[in-house]
Amino acid sequence: MTALVLEKLSVRYGAVDAVRGLSLEVQPGQIVGLIGPNGAGKSSTLHAIMGSAPIAGGDVLLDGRSLLKRRPEDVARRGIALVPEGRRIFGELTVEENLRLGLAGRRKGSNGNGLTRAYELFPILHEFRSRHAGALSGGQQQQLAIGRALAADPAVLLLDEPSLGLAPKIVDVVFGALAQIREAGFAVLLVEQRAQRTVALADHSYVLANGELRLTLGPEDAGDTDRLVAAYLA
Amino acid sequence: MTLAFLNLSWPVFADALALGSIYALMAVGIGLVFGVLRLVNFAYGQLMMVGAFALAFGGQWGLPNWESILFCIGVVLALSLVMDRLVFRPLRGHSPAVMLVATFAVAFILQNIALIAFGSFGKTAGALAYLQEPWDIFGVEIRKIAIVAIATAAVCLAAIQLLLTRTSVGLHMRAASMDFGTARMLGVRANRVITGAVLVSGLLAAVATLMLSVEQTQVTSTFALSDTIYVLMGVVLGGLNRPIPATLGGFSIGFAFGLLGGILPTNQSQYLPSFIFAAVIVVLLLRPNGLFTRATGAVERL
Amino acid sequence: MSQARRIPELLVPALLILATAWLGLEVSTYLQAYFLDTLVRVAIVVALYVFIGNSGVLSFGTISFVALGAWTAGVLTVPSEQKKFTMPGLSHFLVTHTVGNVASLALAAAAGGVFALVVGLPLMRLSGLAAGIATFAVLGITYNVLTHEQKIGPGLNAFSGVPQTTAIWQAAIGGLICVAVAYVYQRTRFGRMLRAAREDPAAATASGISIHRQRLLAFTLSGALAGFAGGIYVHLQPLQVNGLYLDLTFITLAMLVVGGVGSLLGAVVGALALNGIYSFFSAATNTVDVFGWHLKVPAGTAEIVLGVLMAVVLIFRPNGLTGGREFSLPRRRRRVADLEKARATT
Repeated sequence: MTALVLEKLSVRYGAVDAVRGLSLEVQPGQIVGLIGPNGAGKSSTLHAIMGSAPIAGGDVLLDGRSLLKRRPEDVARRGIALVPEGRRIFGELTVEENLRLGLAGRRKGSNGNGLTRAYELFPILHEFRSRHAGALSGGQQQQLAIGRALAADPAVLLLDEPSLGLAPKIVDVVFGALAQIREAGFAVLLVEQRAQRTVALADHSYVLANGELRLTLGPEDAGDTDRLVAAYLA
Repeated sequence: MTLAFLNLSWPVFADALALGSIYALMAVGIGLVFGVLRLVNFAYGQLMMVGAFALAFGGQWGLPNWESILFCIGVVLALSLVMDRLVFRPLRGHSPAVMLVATFAVAFILQNIALIAFGSFGKTAGALAYLQEPWDIFGVEIRKIAIVAIATAAVCLAAIQLLLTRTSVGLHMRAASMDFGTARMLGVRANRVITGAVLVSGLLAAVATLMLSVEQTQVTSTFALSDTIYVLMGVVLGGLNRPIPATLGGFSIGFAFGLLGGILPTNQSQYLPSFIFAAVIVVLLLRPNGLFTRATGAVERL
Repeated sequence: MSQARRIPELLVPALLILATAWLGLEVSTYLQAYFLDTLVRVAIVVALYVFIGNSGVLSFGTISFVALGAWTAGVLTVPSEQKKFTMPGLSHFLVTHTVGNVASLALAAAAGGVFALVVGLPLMRLSGLAAGIATFAVLGITYNVLTHEQKIGPGLNAFSGVPQTTAIWQAAIGGLICVAVAYVYQRTRFGRMLRAAREDPAAATASGISIHRQRLLAFTLSGALAGFAGGIYVHLQPLQVNGLYLDLTFITLAMLVVGGVGSLLGAVVGALALNGIYSFFSAATNTVDVFGWHLKVPAGTAEIVLGVLMAVVLIFRPNGLTGGREFSLPRRRRRVADLEKARATT
């Protein structure tokens, strides 16, 4: 079973501790939410997993094997795909080229179906496949970013605030796609600021504040605003 | 100006196209490395110089032409890889200005090594000199090298275009030159892309060397030095980080030099470099952001 | 109190120059040439530092100001009769006018300064790579024009007939003047504003500093000093335009980088140290005795050594030998010194 495990992960930028002793686990077929206020260390956690943030302690394990001290491209090839904050798609390349780029992160032995899966999940990408990615709307670009990550046929999908800047209707589409991705058996770690929707969608969610885990929430807590607020402000 | 037109003849025109073609190849070579490394390789000309000396040695050792040419290409590729390992890699992440100064140092070192090894007289690289002879085309005498240069450049540029647009390596290179960090995160192998760019860049340098050697059979330590400076200016004029404008920029400089150098009398054409340099300054003033900085427009420090 | 702390910043470089000059007087005439060369190079590197060190912006153009200064001082001090022979294309005005040594140096400084001002007005808006390439273009234009324009100088030929008035003391005084001017400038508000802009441009602009204006000031000053140094240089040996182009640009830049771009001490130390090494290897082409060894190297070794040193420094210790810091006396009582500093700057 391919699981992502963080063991007492600490991330430090110079003198600043961004993440302190964070431990969590994401299983296949699961969405784990990571919510919290700005500067809580959520993005840093994802970057640390990818190998682009300085890890000061702890371990990141994929399928029991450590990912520490690996270059970002190697982490990707091990089976972790990141949908970064701000999407970071290549505006001057076509939609199809962006997706083909995602294929670079393919694991050894995985079939080349990545593109097909992306098109199936987001039909609009297939329609616009020859267009320059820069011409797409925000929501379509988000779908492209997720599709690109899926093209690598990863074991684990990391998403950094996918709903940022999107209209509610588009957020529905994106979150709906995430549910389908979960059903397809991927392990998903979802970092978000929209606490309620995330908590409702995820199998369980962690609240991160000041680099530390404060609270664990289940979908049933999605309506409990008081609890959420208390966790954020603690 | 009318006098100039009267001076224009087919051979001069062909030669200008040829020089433009050679400069266009050099422009692509410099642009490719800049794209993935954000490094302006001032030592590009010295790569070519070393290649020219290799060609000279080939002739000296009595190798048949094809072997000399292969030797030249091999040496240039090898030196490109060495430069990448020893100089480019440790400098990755530094500001482009620091990288420019560092490559300036490398150029200086190589130039003086050549000066020590071969003296100010240099060596003769006559392998391709026979291309100086003209072909008779419909009664006009055009130098063989002119046709060869234009054709070779066209083929190389087409091949590179195919490489960049139709292969995954090419796609990875384009992505890396747009946003290196994100490309890596997607699984693009940084080192492979850079090595690829360095090799293609080296290959182009070798080809340009071969063609320049036809006219400059006496190879000295300053071989291709001023050519590199002019190509660099042309690339800046065209647009350093966009491949097609960079190529056009390089071509235009070469073509302008060839044409104006051929039709203007010497006392007017000797100031041509100053006009090119002045044009570069104007372009840099009008569009510095478009050429060099990313969206932030932040001020860079040394 | 904090002003007094700063005096070593001026004294140490000055003393180093004086020490070099004194040494130069003690050695044979043959070796003295190297010391003279070194002292002139110190002046050039300090001129380089005044702009690059304080602004943090790369400029390849300083040697063009040196060249212009050399041309100005040289052409105006060659005796009229000689000028007609050695520089037949020279314009009538330049042939008939000749000035004395000191006046020529002043004019050289003025020429360098004015040229820098004119060039700097548009160019000081640029930074980073763009500034490097634009200033390189200026160098290229200057080289191109000076090489071909016979009306203003000897063109491609070497200067001849320029009175060789630069002896050790003149060269030392020239260096000291440059160091003094550089020191005074960096102590003024203008110097400090520019350095602030170097550290944090956004904050500087927000504080009302006009980065463009401060850079222009430093650039002009740097041009004047460079022109001045050029004037001294042309009175040292018969200069040729090829010696005022890429090679000298590289060598002086290497000296600044290795010494430490950010400090006056770095400029002086870099110039003295590197030119010392350069001179050693140059002399070694004619065999030198080192602790009983006979050392002979091929010509061009000196340049390679310099190049390698510069590359090594850039890769491993980009702040140079001095780390970009000036010379300062060790702090005895930390807290008090900091308090005073805070008081002095509020």
